[in-house]
Amino acid sequence: MDADNDAPIHPMKRNKQRVLLLSSRGVTQRMRHLMSDLEALLPHAKKESKLDSKSQLHLLPELADLNNCNNALYFEARRHEDLYMWAAKTPNGPSIKLHVQNVHTMDELKMTGNCLKGSRGILSFDKVFDDTEWGKLTKEVFTHIFGVPPMARRAKPFIDHVLTFSILDSKIWFRNFQILEKDPQQPNAPPKTSLVEIGPRFVLTPIRVFEGAFGGATVYSNPEFITPTAVRTLIRQRKGDKYGKRKD
Amino acid sequence: EDAIPKRKIEVDNTDALRRIRETIQLNPSLPWTETLVISFPQTIEVDVDDDLNRELAFYKQALYSADRARTLAASQSLPFTRPADYFAEMLKSDAHMERIRSRLLDERAGIKKSE
Repeated sequence: MDADNDAPIHPMKRNKQRVLLLSSRGVTQRMRHLMSDLEALLPHAKKESKLDSKSQLHLLPELADLNNCNNALYFEARRHEDLYMWAAKTPNGPSIKLHVQNVHTMDELKMTGNCLKGSRGILSFDKVFDDTEWGKLTKEVFTHIFGVPPMARRAKPFIDHVLTFSILDSKIWFRNFQILEKDPQQPNAPPKTSLVEIGPRFVLTPIRVFEGAFGGATVYSNPEFITPTAVRTLIRQRKGDKYGKRKD
Repeated sequence: EDAIPKRKIEVDNTDALRRIRETIQLNPSLPWTETLVISFPQTIEVDVDDDLNRELAFYKQALYSADRARTLAASQSLPFTRPADYFAEMLKSDAHMERIRSRLLDERAGIKKSE
């Protein structure tokens, strides 16, 4: 036996995370595909069947517990067009509610990148996350949910992609890139890192941060957030005004 | 008509946010290899509607992270590069990649035709 190998006497501390991934009823095909993309990207995620009721979110922590998960990622579809994402730590919280926009799934984006299924991705956060307190909390929660722990059952031993989270226009933009170390055209050239996007893409607008898991006191609310329904109402109202003026 | 627009109540309880973060925080003594988190030291300041520059900014962030992660992985002896003879299931299936390839070829043929 190697003398070097029995060095760790005290057990190593590990990052143990499991994520429950599920959606509400009424998700469209695109939302469903986004979920399956995320499931493929996150080998430590456990997919559950759709949650029946939109008003009984308190069932989710129990469900996560039944599946031995300590995180939950819940997609809530409203009116078959608006998608909300809840990122929560179960059972004690916090939970973050975000509005998902500009969804492009891996399937519809014709991107040439590819990576090992279940390889651990690098998580990249830009500096704005550290500027605000809610940003720091979001970073922490996303680290738990989107970071693949090293001991995940289906994780592969190499690192070949980067998940980037960037705050721009007070929204969180998500991208996924493959890391290429060699130019496929010139395999003998000195290695130089380049990236190819894999997909999916989406933009998250934070809405609220709750103290508990899927409930509890609001500790942050985004003052700039306007519900998509309000936006649509406004557009329709304007259209109506135009017609009214023309009629007069 | 003259209804006063409803003011949204803004909540930003930084003390509570900090307290919550401290309760869920991973042990800071965990080695980097457990989380693989890289913080990009710059803020991204581009026009949101300028697709090209925006994507370029994201690309730069990812590139910085990849390079930084490689040096960190090397220092902690974490395997990083996939050897050429390691084969396993990929994220996108072969059928999917073939579809992308044929589409690229189609586009290229179309460009050639129009020239």
